[in-house]
Parts: sequence; structure tokens; C-alpha cells
Amino acid sequence: MSDKLKQIIKKQTQKENENLDHADDVVQLVGFIIGDEEYAVPILSIQEIIKPFPWTRVPQVPKYIVGVFNMRGAVIPLIDLRLKFGLSPKKHNEDTRFIVMREGDDIAGFVIDRLTMAIRIKKSDIGPAPDTASGDETAIDGVGKQADKIITILKVKKLLQRDF
Amino acid sequence: MDEFQEILQDFLVESFELIEQLDQDLVELETRPDDLELLNRIFRVAHTVKGASSFLNFDVLTHLTHHMEDVLNRARHGELIISPNIMDVILESIDLMTALLNTIRDTSSDDGIDVSGCVVRLDLCTKGYGDAEAPAAQPAAPKAAEKVIEEVAEEVAEEVVQEEPSSGDELDYDNMGADELEAEIERLLKERMAEDKAKRASKLSSASASKEEDDDSGQEYEPIANVPVAVTPARKPASMRDDSDSMDDARAAAPAKKQSTVEQTIRVDVKRLDHLMNLIGELVLAKNRLIKINDDVEERYEGESFLEELNQVVSIVSIVTTDLQIAVMKTRMLPIGKVFNKFPRMIRDLSRELNKKIELEIFGEDTELDKSIVEEIGDPLVHIIRNSCDHGIEIPEIRLEQGKSETGTIKLKAYNEGNQIVIQIDDDGKGLDVEMLKRKSLEKGLITEKEADNMSDKEAFGLIFKPGFSTATVVTNVSGRGVGMDVVKTNIEKVNGIIDIDSEIGIGTSMKLKIPLTLAIIQALLVGVQEEHYAIPLASVLETVRISKDEVYTVEGRSVMRLREDVLSLVHIGDIFEVERILDSSEYAYVVVLGLGTSKLGLIVDTLVGQEEIVIKSLGEFLKGIDGIAGATIRGDGGVTLIVDVVAIMDMAKHVKATALIDTTSDAAMLTHEKTKASDYTVMIVDDSKTDRTIMRKALEPLGVTLVEAGDGQEALAILKQGDYNFDAMLVDIEMPRMDGYSLATEIKKYNRYKNLPLIAVTSRTGKSDRMRGVESGMVEYITKPYSSDYLMSVVQRNINFRSEFLK
Repeated sequence: MSDKLKQIIKKQTQKENENLDHADDVVQLVGFIIGDEEYAVPILSIQEIIKPFPWTRVPQVPKYIVGVFNMRGAVIPLIDLRLKFGLSPKKHNEDTRFIVMREGDDIAGFVIDRLTMAIRIKKSDIGPAPDTASGDETAIDGVGKQADKIITILKVKKLLQRDF
Repeated sequence: MDEFQEILQDFLVESFELIEQLDQDLVELETRPDDLELLNRIFRVAHTVKGASSFLNFDVLTHLTHHMEDVLNRARHGELIISPNIMDVILESIDLMTALLNTIRDTSSDDGIDVSGCVVRLDLCTKGYGDAEAPAAQPAAPKAAEKVIEEVAEEVAEEVVQEEPSSGDELDYDNMGADELEAEIERLLKERMAEDKAKRASKLSSASASKEEDDDSGQEYEPIANVPVAVTPARKPASMRDDSDSMDDARAAAPAKKQSTVEQTIRVDVKRLDHLMNLIGELVLAKNRLIKINDDVEERYEGESFLEELNQVVSIVSIVTTDLQIAVMKTRMLPIGKVFNKFPRMIRDLSRELNKKIELEIFGEDTELDKSIVEEIGDPLVHIIRNSCDHGIEIPEIRLEQGKSETGTIKLKAYNEGNQIVIQIDDDGKGLDVEMLKRKSLEKGLITEKEADNMSDKEAFGLIFKPGFSTATVVTNVSGRGVGMDVVKTNIEKVNGIIDIDSEIGIGTSMKLKIPLTLAIIQALLVGVQEEHYAIPLASVLETVRISKDEVYTVEGRSVMRLREDVLSLVHIGDIFEVERILDSSEYAYVVVLGLGTSKLGLIVDTLVGQEEIVIKSLGEFLKGIDGIAGATIRGDGGVTLIVDVVAIMDMAKHVKATALIDTTSDAAMLTHEKTKASDYTVMIVDDSKTDRTIMRKALEPLGVTLVEAGDGQEALAILKQGDYNFDAMLVDIEMPRMDGYSLATEIKKYNRYKNLPLIAVTSRTGKSDRMRGVESGMVEYITKPYSSDYLMSVVQRNINFRSEFLK
């Protein structure tokens, strides 16, 4: 059993190595769906991905900040990316996840509709954000091109920045 | 304690700390003899001790350290290689230094210890002979070099108790010939060996004596601990062995054995204390959780014998946690004297500058306060005192005219009051003139005329804290820029403190700063509004009252109520925090009377949950500075509860539009949808048994209504809350896990929109009391199992007003 597993893993790594010759030119991302779009953030900025659980509403904040929740003793803000991106609210279902992202001391949980997968993508396949959405204001870091689709890569730093 | 003693204390504490560090450094130096930084550090210790001791006239110590410094100086300049032999001499000198310091601690003088032998050896090292001569000169050296720990300790003891055999006759070694020197060294050596023996013998006897005296100081260090001067060196072997237990014992033994005046202190990094405090915080949260679980368990397993044991454990954990919390809090406490001490000087300077005669009286400088708070209150106090000097105390001529004593007095007091520390600053100056304050504020546009008219005296005093307010006609060096007092208020409020001013014209002003003992853990009142909970710091809660809705009056668009003699303005917590009104507000509401200094506010809440100890947690960078929220805490059930910022609430209440407490309930608006076909009717079936649900479903299917199933009360409630369906009726089983039918009915009736939803109990319980409970909890029908499907159908039809034309 474990031998088989090893073989499979070996094969997989071989394949990956073929695809991606230079490991350091590869970015690892985690993809997720919000609305109809697929987005991704660097895997290293993700602290954990959890199933939804109760949170506490916080008053006097924009709608997209749904509240705060308790993650092992730390009080962490919860942001609904659907609302943040101007989509209509949606009930949480079994695919809904909280992605807890961290950058330095800044930390927050984000509600997403569905996870897709971990993505390895070559740096050379990442294009800059479209001109209409560039500059300091945008939360888009770049656009990852894949065989059959493109993925919007988000700036975690920007997502964690307070903008109200 | 006179000044010399105070300096001496500081010197000793510092020196012992240095030596403790030195021990480690020296051990390291042995392995890395050419580490310049280490050498420099060791040199600095010798240098510091020398400097201080010469200042304090400890000649012997100065003499010794001076020679040590020489050796080390040469070593760090690379003129001398630290060989093991030289190291021995240095170690010896340091032990001697420790011994001297111990003597100083006990007797305030450094007499009684001979250092000349060691000085000779040090000198030899300086001259570079050290390497060759030292082995002969230092009998104990080889042993020490082997780091036989006991030997080190003994050597110290021996050094210490040496009875100045040749004190005073410090020979001029520099002028000696090589032979003379040899002879002298030989002589010293013999002397020492003889003493060594004597000491060992005496130590043995003293050891046995001390065993009887004090058994629990125990361990092999006891004999050493018994010889007072050797206590500190004894720590070294202990720490070298990394045996913390015995180290503790040695330390514990030390204070017990001596009536010394040196503070027994350890310096600890504040970060560690903060960490400790955080851990305690977590513990408190866990304790709260445990208590909650205990309550739940108690309810469920009433009368079981293990409950008592559980209760005991929970209460022990609870008590110990509280004690632990207090203990840790105490470690963070500093006497407020640290802040007060700088004021006498400040007053002296100020009185000279202002040409006034002012006296400062300080009381209660021993009162202790959390370190972080002590740091925060320094500045505010400076401002308040400057203000008192500048604006409060009059110039001597005027004081005399008014029949007061020429010298003004400012009293600075600190004392405990319940869970708070009160710092009171009284002056006997001219006092605050209410009219003048109002006039000035009006001039500066800080208040409106209407506000000025409605202002009480207390509120008028509060004007001095408004930013931009100043009564001084001239801006002086000291004050009058209208910044200071504003800062005072902000800083005090930052530590959750409040300021209370009292003043009488011509008599003086009294300011009270009331500050909580600690910042991290507070007592809070938990209140409920709709489905949300909030925590209000108990320190700001004056009282709570239950009112009925008709006790609330509206004056100029604001809700007020009569509270005994006063009129209290009210604000609904739901209006401040934008809480959605989904639950039906009951006939009664609770008013939490908040008091902050002079102002009061009634906060209307739906329920009072109780008092709880909460740990304040920050909302983090992302959510900081939300109006009205001071932070968050984690409750026993793991949920997050927000903490109300009372200061901000008071302010917000002025701008919040008061919605009437009696809001027009949007009753059943959702339920009266036009029904056009049978499936527009929706009925929920709540039963934990799949079979029962199927039976009901089969019975109702002929009607063609939409059926939704739920496995228990909580699931049913969740479906209701989601609001995906507009239910026309519910069939509820009584006996269900998690939440039974009665509780479900009670919960449902709390919601406005489901108040009129027909609940039909379907149960095998037939007792009268069961039926009664069903009615009490709001059930409209009671069907007992078994039932015929026709009967069920007709009951449902009746209750949902099913239109017969939909019947196929």
C-alpha cells in the first residue's frame, strides 16, 4: 500500500518536475470561487481554512464585515468577499469556507463560496493586473493564465487592509 | 531611610545583579578566552563596582576591584592571555568581591576581609608573571579549575571568614625582590592552608547545628546558607548544575536566615509578565467555560452523586484561578510613589517660576497599581499639578488678602477604593468659577448658549477637559495653551479611568482620578438585546432597574425616565448598535444606569444576563476604533461578546435618534401571502423519529401542501431563522433530543414574525400536566398518538385556513 503510494507520489513529482523545471519560479496558490469567478491567493499567506461556525456581529462597520469569530482564543474579523466584491449576499452552504489569511500581524477570516484547488503556476504565466485595475487601490495582484482559464490573484495585503 | 542608605541599597542590588551575570560570563570566558566582548563585559563590571564603591568609601572593595580592573584591562587589550591560572585568580577575586558585598550588605562596611593576598596575585598577573607563579600561589586554584563546585563554595566561605590575619600590613610588593616575594607568597599560602582546615572543621559543626534549626531549608547547601556571607556564591554552583530546585531552596533560605535590608528582588522582563498575564487570561476564559459546562451537566444529571465531586473540582479550579490571577496581577504592580516622587522637585521649580509659595503633601505613595497604568498616569498627573499651581493657587499677596495662609498647599493622595485606585489632587486655591468657565467656553465656541444654560455645576467643571479650552488670559510657559487638560482626560480614559471634579470658589479644587486596578481582566455586566449579547464594564454601571414601557417619556425627541428624584435620559442599546428587531420586545425592559464622572445615562436592554469576569481582547488592527466598542471577550460557550465602550456610548447617545421603545410590530406581515394553490401552504414537521415523520407526511400529502421536515427543535429553529419558507403551521413532537417541543415553542414565540404561527403538538404524552405545559408554551392544538390521518389532516386544515377549493 505505502509502496504504491510512494510510486504514485514519485510519478506525480516527476510529472510536476517536467512541467516546472525551476521550482523557484513557481508560485503555489490556493484557488477559490466567489460568485462566478475563480480567485487565488498565495498558499503561504493562508493560515488555515475552516468550515463556517458562529460569529458575532460587529456594529458600525461596512456590510461586508460580517463580524468577529473566536479562533482558539483569538478574536478575528470575518469578511464576506461576496459582499466586498459587490455581489449579492448568499446563504452559507456546505461548500462555504472561511479562509484565514495572515500577513505580518494582520489577520482576518474571509468567507468564500467554494474552494477549488491548490495551484502551482509558473511566475512567467502570471500577467500584471489589467490597466483598469492597477495602482495602489486594486486588490488584484495579477492574472494567472492556465490552460483552460485565467485566475485572478488577489493581494492579501490589500485584503487585510482596513478601508473604511 | 536616609539618602546614603538608599544609594547603598541600589548599589548592592545592582552589584549582585552584575555578579550573577558575571558568573556566567566567566564560565564562558574559560572556553573562549579571546572573546573580546566577554572580556569587556567583565571589565565593565569590575569598573562599575570600583566606581561606585569608591564613591561610597568602601576602600577595601575599591582596592580589590581596582586591581581586578588592571588585570582585565590588560587582558582586553591583548597584553595578557587568560590562562586557566589567571582565570583562577580572577575567579578568586570575584568571589572575594561577592564576599565583600555580602559583608557590606550585613554590616554596611567592608571591614573584616583581607584582600591583600588576592591583590598580590592579581598584581602578579598584571605584570605577566601570573602564568608561572599562580599555581604555587593559589592552593585552591587547581581544584577550582576543575570546577569542583563545592570547592568553590568552600573557598568563598573561607575567604570570607578570614580574620584579617595581615590586615593593614599591605606590603610594598613592587619593591620586593624575587626571593622576598616568594617568601611572602609562601607565608600567605601557609596561612591560608591552616585557616582552610580550621574553617572546614567549624563548618561541619555549624552545619549540624543549623540542621536542627531549620529543617526545610534542607539540601546540601544548607551549611553554606547558614554562613550568611556565602549565600550568594552558593547560588552559583546551584545554577551551574542547572538544578533549579536547590537553587530555589538556597534563595528561599537566604531571606529566612538574615534580617537583611536588601530587597529580595528579581528583575523580570515585562514581556514575560505580559505573557503570563495573557496565559492567565486564557485560564480565566477556560474557567468560565468550565463553570458553564458544570451548570449544564448539573441540570441534566440532577441528583447524581458524581456531581458533587465535579462541583468541588470546579470550585477549586475557580478559586485557584482567581488567586493566581490576583498573584500575577500583583507581580505587575508598582507603587505609585514611582510617579509621585518626581513631583516635589516639579513643585519647587514651578513655585519659583510662578513666584508663588506652594507646598506639596503626598499621601499613600505605597499604593500599588498595574505597571502599564503607572506609565499612563504620569503625564496626566503632571498636567493636573501644573494646572493647580498655575490656575489654582493664588499669588501670596492675594492669598493673604483673602485670609488664607501665604503658602498654598497641594495634596496628592492615592488610596484603594473597592476595585479601583483613587488618586486625589486637592489644592486650596481659588477654585473653579462655573460662570467664568461657561463664559470662556461660549467665547471659544465650545458649547452653545442653550447647553450653557442647562449645564449643572459638575458638567461645567468638565468643560476644562474640552480640547481648546483655557481659562488663562495669558499663555504662560506653564500652562494656558488649552491642550493639557484635554490630554489628561484622554489618557485617563485610555486606562478606563474616570475623573471627578469638585470645586468651591475661594476654597479650592479637588480632582479624583478613579482608575481600575488592572486593564486586562474586568468584571462586566452582560446584557442581551434581541439575540445579541454585550458586556458592559461593571465599574461604569451604577445600578439596573426594570421598567415597564409606559415609564418611558419622550422629551424633545429623546427618551427619558424618572429615576427617583432625577430625570434620566435613555437610549436603547439596539439603536446604538443597529440591532435588527426580530424578536418581540417584551412588556418590560431593563435600564442599565451608566455613570461616568458626572454624567449619567440609562441604557435600555432587553435582558440582563449576569455578571461575569471577562478578559479584554483587542479586536485587532482591522477593526480597531469602532465607535462604542472597547474590545471583545470570549465567553464560556466559546462565542465572542463585544465589550461596550461606556465613554463612547455616552457621546453617541446624544446623536442617536431614539426609536420609540414601543415599536409597531410588523406582525405576521410575512404570513399573509395570498395563497393561489395548495402548495403555497407550507407546514413543518418536527419529530426525531423518521417513522413518525413519514406517517405525518403520508397523512398530509393528500392536501398537497409543501412539507418541510426537521429532526429536532434546534434544526427546526435553524430552518425558521433562515427564512427560506413562510410556514403556515408546525407539527411538533414533544419528546426530542437537543431541544424538546416545549422549548422550541417558547423560542419560536419570541420572534415577531412567528408569534401567530400555529404550533400543533403531536405526542404520545397524554398527561394533563403535559397538555398544560403545551398550552403554556404556546401550542394551539394537542394531538395524541396514535391518531388517524383524517384527524391530523382536519386539524392542520383548520389551523392553516386551508381553502377547500384547493382540495382535489
